[in-house]
This record gives sequence, C-alpha cells and structure tokens, in this order.
Amino acid sequence: MAIDHAMPVLVVDDYSTMIRIIRNLLRQLGFENVDDATDGSAALAKMRDRRYGLVISDWNMEPMTGYELLKQVRATPEFARTPFIMVTAEAKTENVIAAKKAGVNNYIVKPFNAQTLKTKIETVFAA
Amino acid sequence: MPAPDSNPLAGSDGAVKHAVAPSLADVVRLAEISAAASQAFSQLLDSTIVREMRDIAVHLAATKREIGKLQANDIKNVRIPAAGNELKAVTRSTEAATNTILACAEAVMAADASDPARYKALVDEKMLQIFEACAFQDTAGQRVGKVVETLQHIEARVASFAAAVRAQDTPGPANDVERERAERRRRLHIHGPQDGGAAPDGSDLKDGRQAEIDKMFD
Repeated sequence: MAIDHAMPVLVVDDYSTMIRIIRNLLRQLGFENVDDATDGSAALAKMRDRRYGLVISDWNMEPMTGYELLKQVRATPEFARTPFIMVTAEAKTENVIAAKKAGVNNYIVKPFNAQTLKTKIETVFAA
Repeated sequence: MPAPDSNPLAGSDGAVKHAVAPSLADVVRLAEISAAASQAFSQLLDSTIVREMRDIAVHLAATKREIGKLQANDIKNVRIPAAGNELKAVTRSTEAATNTILACAEAVMAADASDPARYKALVDEKMLQIFEACAFQDTAGQRVGKVVETLQHIEARVASFAAAVRAQDTPGPANDVERERAERRRRLHIHGPQDGGAAPDGSDLKDGRQAEIDKMFD
C-alpha cells in the first residue's frame, strides 16, 4: 500500500521535546499533517474528532498509558484498524509481547533514529 | 457419697481424728522457712530481671545512638530536598538545551538556501548556539554527581543502621500509595528505560534490542 503523506498523524507523548523531535522527523519524511496529545485519554478525544491515518504513541504516560490507549483503540470499531506504532523506552520482552497481543503494528525503542522510524512506517503500510 | 450425718473428720474405720493445733513457735518457724525460700527466689529473680533490663537498656541506648547516626532529619529536611532540586535543575537545563538545539536545527532546515552567503551566516550562527547549548552537560554532570553523593551518604547510614540493629526486611510495599503504584506498574507493564545488559531474570532485551524486537514483528 502506498503511503499517503497527507494523512493526519497523531503523536502521543507526555514530553513536549519528544513530540517536537518526532514531528520534525515526520516532516523530514514528508508528513506535514501532524497533531499531538500528551496522554492516552487526550489522544482518544482527538481521535473522536478526527480520523488519523497513523498513531505514534509513547507507553509510559499519566493518567492513561499508551498501552491502555492501544487497547481502547483496538476495542473501538471506528479506530480498530488505525495503524499504531509504539515508540517507547519500555524495552522488556513482556512489553513487546503485551503490545503485540493488544494489536500494535510495530514497536520502536527509544532512543531511535530517523531511519528506524521511516522503516517502521513503511513496514506498517506495506503489510 | 457420705451419709448426711457422717462426720467429715472420721477415718475409714469411723474413728474421729482430732487435729493438733500448731504452736506459735511452729508458725514462726514456718514463716522463717518461707521467708528464706522466697528471699532466695526473689534474689534470683531480681538478678535475672535486672540483668535483662540492663541488657535491654544497653540495646536501647545503642539503637538510639544508631538512630541518631542515621541523621534522619538531615536526610529528610536537607539532603533529599537538595537532591530533588539538583535533579529538577538537570531536567530544566537538559530541556532548555534540547529546545535550543531543536530550534537551531528547525531554523537551518527552514532557511532559504538561495543566497549562499546569507545561508552560511545563518548556519554559522545556529551552530554556535548549538555549541553554547551543549555546555549544559558540564553543570548537569556536576549536579548529578552531587545527587550520587547524597545517595551514597544515605546508603552508608542505612547500611550501618541495618547492621547495628540486625534489621530484618519486611517484604512488600510500605503503604497503600506505594502498593497502588506498584500494582499499576505491574498491570500496565511499566518498567522504565532498561540498562544495556540483560536483567537478572534474563527477561529483557539485550543490546541491539531494536533488532530483537524487529524479529518479533517479522
């Protein structure tokens, strides 16, 4: 599947710096239409207002984590098929397994580079 | 059961045995024997109790000295707040430096390169700002060093105290807040960043972990 670079992308992270970094990397990859949220519940609120083509989320946030967001997204019929990439410092095998079980499309461990993000987005849309 | 009119002092042969009244001398003698016996017992008891009380007092005094050496008030009121402030300052300076560097990078990326001289001047200026921003590393390193020193100070005192009172750890969280936090972290798989090496249980991903994760998505 060809990647639609005009699609809205939602970046979810509780650190404004990380949002800024991912937003810049996405811009370099050709994605200009980027929104952000600082936790899972804020992300869900945005997703109810706008249909996103991709969600890139951190795991460890308060009050709603990225893991809970992922489960909510997959449990909600209108978002259930939205591509979801986890970008997190949580690097235990149990985290990756839990995320896969919950329906994550791919998983990136922080710190990461632009090439990894690019490859993961391409992999998700090629599937 | 004896007949109602039988004599309680009668023996099996029915003969009545008359009790002999003790003399005053007998009573006094009995009292003396009893007093001597109880005095010996009291002395034994007293010396045991006194010895145990003395031991307890010595132990309490030693524990009190160890508690004093903990300097708990100094740790609670001075050292931990100071360490917290140092870490907050590190976070602030790191964030400020990152924002400066990001702003410089964004300015360079957004700059018009059609005028090479002007573009070079802008790049030079932004690179200089990036170098300046990176200076935070020096002070951040010193601040982290102070926090490590505080942790070592606390560690040394707690270790000394634990050894002195032969402390036995009580497993589990110390209070409900700690319990709820631990439960949330367990339920939501929150562990935070890992070191490069494997965890003692071998359950985390080793160096090159992104490659290991990638295999899980092949």
